[in-house]
Amino acid sequence: MAPKPITSPVPDAWYPTLSVFMLSIGLLLTASFFIYEATSSRQNRSLAKELITGAVASVFLGFGSLFLLLASGVYV
Amino acid sequence: MGVLLIPRLTLTLTIISLFIFLSRSSSQEILINNAERRIDLSTHIVKVFFTLKVENIGTNAVSEILLAFPPTQADHLAFVEALATTGKRKKKTYVPLVVKPTELPDAPNETKYFSISLVNPLNSGDTTTLEVLYVFTHSLEPFPMEISQSESQLVYYRDSALILSPYHIKQQTTFIKTPTTKVESFTRLDPTNRAGTEMKYGPYEDQPPYSYSPIIVHCENNNPFAVVEELVREVEISHWGSIQITEHYKLVHAGARHKGIFSRVEYQSRPSFSGVSSFKHLLARLPPRVHSVYYRDEIGNISSSHLRTDSQKSDLEIEPRYPLFGGWKATFIIGYGVPLQDFLFESPDGRRYLNFTFGCPLAESVVDKLTIKVVLPEGSKDPSAVVTFPVEQHLETKYSYLDVVGRTVVVLEKKNVVPMHNTVFQVYYTFNPIFMLAEPLMLTSVFFLFFVACVAYLHIDLSIRK
Repeated sequence: MAPKPITSPVPDAWYPTLSVFMLSIGLLLTASFFIYEATSSRQNRSLAKELITGAVASVFLGFGSLFLLLASGVYV
Repeated sequence: MGVLLIPRLTLTLTIISLFIFLSRSSSQEILINNAERRIDLSTHIVKVFFTLKVENIGTNAVSEILLAFPPTQADHLAFVEALATTGKRKKKTYVPLVVKPTELPDAPNETKYFSISLVNPLNSGDTTTLEVLYVFTHSLEPFPMEISQSESQLVYYRDSALILSPYHIKQQTTFIKTPTTKVESFTRLDPTNRAGTEMKYGPYEDQPPYSYSPIIVHCENNNPFAVVEELVREVEISHWGSIQITEHYKLVHAGARHKGIFSRVEYQSRPSFSGVSSFKHLLARLPPRVHSVYYRDEIGNISSSHLRTDSQKSDLEIEPRYPLFGGWKATFIIGYGVPLQDFLFESPDGRRYLNFTFGCPLAESVVDKLTIKVVLPEGSKDPSAVVTFPVEQHLETKYSYLDVVGRTVVVLEKKNVVPMHNTVFQVYYTFNPIFMLAEPLMLTSVFFLFFVACVAYLHIDLSIRK
């Protein structure tokens, strides 16, 4: 039986594209988070909505910055 | 002239070595019918091809054949390989045999032994043919020890005209191949012939065990004496698709030391006469599909390098900042990345293993001390290395990008490495793929903490006024 080569879970060629898309989605969500924080008053602000927007934005920013590191040659 | 310069030490060694030791039983059981030795002095790595036809004349079966080396040679011995040949002419097949160093209680003059384990024990009356290759480093002594820029490099090679062996040798011949036809002197032990680049000692008939007769060959050798005093290779595995290799070299020209001034004008205008023993190019053979190759030192990038790639290999031709003359040193770093799927595999038992080349990528170079550091990804467990020859091993921890507990590093160390050691080795480890999510989750949690901090700041009323 020939040994099975281990490959990366995501093909290397996708890293630049993935980082651009995920970082732009993450930054848009960050922007909407801060717009919501600035425009809504303290009384009618919902904590759940703030945290959900923040969590989704941070997932996109986290994976986006990882792919940015990988695309620029810093293999973590 | 070189004949007169035989050191007294070797002379005394000879006289004592000529004693015949018959005390060992196995020595009497084995007879070498025909031994042929070809010593290749054409580079600074001395290669000896040794063919011996062995016959068992005793009554018991023998499973081990001994090779003997004088202590001076044993210190410089880098590599021994033995093959058993079967079949004749075109149908010849070679079977590699296990060779390991052994100790004998009655070794004369601290003779060092290597034992070759035969696949099938040699029965009484049977014969077999063995092919042995052994390699010496640092065995060519430059004489004169210091030469100027326009001189050619001459070296001494010391050996014995008679093959040192614990067995009786019926007939033996030694051929010495010199790099050029220019031979200053050589010891004669009739019958001795020299034709072109080849010298022939023998055939000598019926030599008793432990026969020894020192010879000195004084010949020209202008090949690059490229010795890497210390080489540290760091192989860093990333499961995200790449293996990064960083190699730190401390290179030295180990030939005759340079004397007097160095004239760049003369060196460049008359390359065939000036600095013939120096070298300015080195060839590093890298794996195929390398990417992000760099060649630099402490000051910065060294621009004089060329990379040629094809599907089989990548050739990196590097030029140090200055040509290297005898005794001159150069320190530099080579780094490159290779695709993960070429070198990392999954074994049937579920463990992962790295399959990588041992040794030094520089062609025709000797490494005095080689350290290979395999940096495994964070979260790897139970590392174990499989190397075909003995190496020193220990574990270290290294911290790199986005590390919390540190990466396990398998360190392999070996002294006296020659190009014959460029064989594959494996490092096995277990790894749970879920650990790959550690790095992105770490980044994600940092961003999330930032958002939580923003929410907290905007929810707390920090104004002083009621």
